[in-house]
Amino acid sequence: MDTILEVKNLCKTYIINKRQNNVLKNVTFSIKAGDMTAIMGASGSGKSTLLYSVSGMDNITAGEVKFCGTDIPGMNENQLAKLRLNKMGFIFQQMYMLKNLSILDNIILPARQSRKIKERYSETAGRGRDLMRKLGISDIADNDINEVSGGQLQRACICRSMINKPDIIFADEPTGALDRTASGEVMEELACINNEGTTVMLVTHDVRVAARCTRLLYIADGNIEGEYNLGRCTGSTKLRERERQVSNWLMEMGW
Amino acid sequence: MYWHILKKDLKRKKTMNIILLLFVLLASMFIASGVSNMVTIFSALDNYFEMAEVPFHWLIFNDMANKDKYKDFAAGNNYDFQFNEMVSASADNIKVNGKKLDFSNVICIETLEDPLNIFDSMDNEITTVNDGEIYVTSSLFFSEKNNFKTGCKMQITLNGKTRDFILKDYAKNAICSSSMMGITKVLISRNDYNYLKSGNPGSSGLLWECSVYTDDRDYNTKVSEVAFSSLTRSDYDGIKLMYIVDVVVAATVLLVSICIILISMVMLRFTINFTMNEEFREIGVMKAVGIRNGSIKLLYIVKYLAISITGAAAGFILSIPFGNILLQSISRNIVVSGNTGYMLNFLLALVTVFIVILFCYFCTRNINKISPVSAIRNGGTGERYARKGVINLWKSRLVPVPFMALNDILSKPGRYFSMALVFTLGILLIIIPVNTINTLHSGELTELFGMAKSDHVISQEILLQEDGSGTESIKENIESLKKELGRNNIDAVVFQEALFKADILYNDRRMEVLAEQGNGDTDDGIYQYIEGTPPANPDEIAVTSVVAKEMDVGIGDYVEASIGSIKEKYIITAVFQSMQNMGSGIRIYHNKDTRDILPAGVLGIQVKYNDNPDSSLLKERKKLLEQFYPDDNVYTAGGYITVMMGDITGQIDGVKNLILCIVFCINILVTVLMSKSFITKEKSGIAILKAVGFNNIQLACWQTLRIVIILFISAVLSILLSTPLSQLLIAPVFRMMGAYSIEFDINALEVYLLYPSAIFAVTSFAAFVSSQGVRKIPASQASDIE
Repeated sequence: MDTILEVKNLCKTYIINKRQNNVLKNVTFSIKAGDMTAIMGASGSGKSTLLYSVSGMDNITAGEVKFCGTDIPGMNENQLAKLRLNKMGFIFQQMYMLKNLSILDNIILPARQSRKIKERYSETAGRGRDLMRKLGISDIADNDINEVSGGQLQRACICRSMINKPDIIFADEPTGALDRTASGEVMEELACINNEGTTVMLVTHDVRVAARCTRLLYIADGNIEGEYNLGRCTGSTKLRERERQVSNWLMEMGW
Repeated sequence: MYWHILKKDLKRKKTMNIILLLFVLLASMFIASGVSNMVTIFSALDNYFEMAEVPFHWLIFNDMANKDKYKDFAAGNNYDFQFNEMVSASADNIKVNGKKLDFSNVICIETLEDPLNIFDSMDNEITTVNDGEIYVTSSLFFSEKNNFKTGCKMQITLNGKTRDFILKDYAKNAICSSSMMGITKVLISRNDYNYLKSGNPGSSGLLWECSVYTDDRDYNTKVSEVAFSSLTRSDYDGIKLMYIVDVVVAATVLLVSICIILISMVMLRFTINFTMNEEFREIGVMKAVGIRNGSIKLLYIVKYLAISITGAAAGFILSIPFGNILLQSISRNIVVSGNTGYMLNFLLALVTVFIVILFCYFCTRNINKISPVSAIRNGGTGERYARKGVINLWKSRLVPVPFMALNDILSKPGRYFSMALVFTLGILLIIIPVNTINTLHSGELTELFGMAKSDHVISQEILLQEDGSGTESIKENIESLKKELGRNNIDAVVFQEALFKADILYNDRRMEVLAEQGNGDTDDGIYQYIEGTPPANPDEIAVTSVVAKEMDVGIGDYVEASIGSIKEKYIITAVFQSMQNMGSGIRIYHNKDTRDILPAGVLGIQVKYNDNPDSSLLKERKKLLEQFYPDDNVYTAGGYITVMMGDITGQIDGVKNLILCIVFCINILVTVLMSKSFITKEKSGIAILKAVGFNNIQLACWQTLRIVIILFISAVLSILLSTPLSQLLIAPVFRMMGAYSIEFDINALEVYLLYPSAIFAVTSFAAFVSSQGVRKIPASQASDIE
């Protein structure tokens, strides 16, 4: 498999009140296309910072980040925006959507902006509806964002992240604000997307979420302290076993 | 604890708090200066007249016999009166910086013996005039083409006696400074006056101004029984009415003040609602931890009190220079002494604080109603449940950026109402004075001055002499011009209006009027009448709408009129409108013998060509007329009216420019502040949009486009409202001047394109610049959404 994301000696330093805070210290790792990688670690360890730094959402202090061979820190704002629009998808813990748009409109907004896929406007809407159907939320297409549940909204956010057929999806605690059932459903969808070939990199605290990933990275004090290869999850029967493996590994890492 | 929360709040929500502070500052500045100006303007003219000691009655005589006759009358009635001797001059006698003066009114040269208190440009009373110094009244000083400047050289030559002067300043003369007054004064020292006067043989060229300080209710009845003739006369109210132009300007400033107060209120309401909605999540948290409603309200009221006191204090300080800038435009001709002091500004700044707290209190009323959970989860009233955008992206052909802008406006129109109101008022504030100026400039007003339509007017408003050569010399002039035109193969009609002071009596009602009589080619019914038929016999007259209304007379009524010293009965045959003498006028039959009556004045010689010449031929003929009359000015009909009305257009033009600056400033401020508010409120949305791939330019365009759409709607609304509002607001002023029916001259290019486009461009630019604030919001902030 080709490497989709390559990170070398990544450093990120915040200066707060003249005090230097080195959040990421020489982080080096790579992600292969089709992987589903979970970044785990304690609160404040730098998980989210790492996610936003490698996705070009945040500037880095030093190091190299290459996405499909392209140097991300060397890109300007417009190039980064174009990259995010066409090749990346984002899912956040808070399921934020634009209030004045319906769920379907929110989903197809990046597609209408991108024109990456040459199609008619009606076809874009059709694709949006197909994605919603696939994620089981087709009945809320015309609803307002305040009229649906958190789980439905997060699935709508997944649809939005998928609409431009990205090469990679970055998810920052995608199930953090969901209950156990909704969380399971959302992870099921992400696993499905990954199985179809889309690379996923996510940040999570949840062992059950991590158990669905193919690879785990453990971050502590701004460094990658460990890596665990789980392999592809093939069925629900193995899920408990995977969860146990993840828990054991995390205990080894000092979780 | 509360202080701690408050301190943290002020720090954390710095942007919104600064926006609120700035809006409070603007509001208190506008309210303080606006209301203070309103009070000043309402009392300005009365205060000025009191300071200047304007008499109850005022007359000018140009012959000794009539002066003596009036003196006996005044003395016989025990009136407190005073005469002031003056020397008459015309533009021909005066040079400014070596150039002949370009001015059509009668100029009276006088000394400080004028019983009136006269003020300089700084509103200080002029108490001494040194030899070689000269003051000119403001109406002359600000006249176009003469380029008067303090310190410039002037030369007066009368009957071979020449004196050079240095212009010390302009003078505010309560009687002669108004744009509508046909007499202008220059003030020189007694020595210089005596020298210039010494060239005059006997009493020739002398004028006597009489000021009567007794307020006798029966004055008009008594004076009508005395047969005397004066060059001009007026009473206290009449002089006041002459300041109609200043009143128009003041009314415009007043309108601006009212508008900016309205704008302030709307903006305050918007900001407080906006910021309070931001607070709801925290209110929910406070409620959840058990803080009582009263304490929560108190916390916010204290916060808003602190912000409003700071803003109001700064607003109070700024309101003083801002108010003075607004007043400058009306203090050119009058002494604006109605300065209310700064106490009123201070009180109004306090009122602003009170209003802010009141708004805040009403906004916090919801605190009682909402539960902690609904406040935390939904931000109180800031959210909606059932209603979403009224248009759908999936159905629309628009690309996302304009779609989002349009959808935002349609989803929450109330949020943009304040902005639309501010923009609409701003554009209207420009268009209405522009319509007024264009109407004043247009030749259409010629007929409103009791004149017939013509192509050219030669300014020959000679002061006619007592020797009876008055109307004869008019006729000679007309004939000589006709001959000259004939020699150049130009087929034209030539005519000139003679004006007589007259009194009309009807059923114990008496009115001083100006009688107009056309001389020359006036046979073909060239004058316009509202109703009736033109006077066709010596005993027939037409009256203006004002006279008809005031005297309660109509067509077919007989009135008694004294024109000069001749009293006769006339039948009214027609009604017309005229702005001459503020609409108090009559028109007498053009062939009536008036040789024995001394005209009070004449208007310019009018030339109307019969071959409908095009504009280039008109220019050629104007040059030809200038050759015939090298010492006089030749105007188009519109140009002549502009000169006749004094510097009214210049004054309104000045106010228009001031309003334009104010509107630009207000639009820029409102746009920047509202744009900042929107960006602060929509931080999460902007971050998400960045995260999904929108770049800074697209997001800035989204923010700007919303303001541009509102601007466009406001511009269309203003354009639609401008003509009816011009009629509603300005037509009454023209009515006061005697023009009962006025068609506004709408310059489509200026009104529909130029000014709206200028405001559009400036505001859009401000919106785009302030929308660059989206750059400061990183995409990674999408993870920090609360």
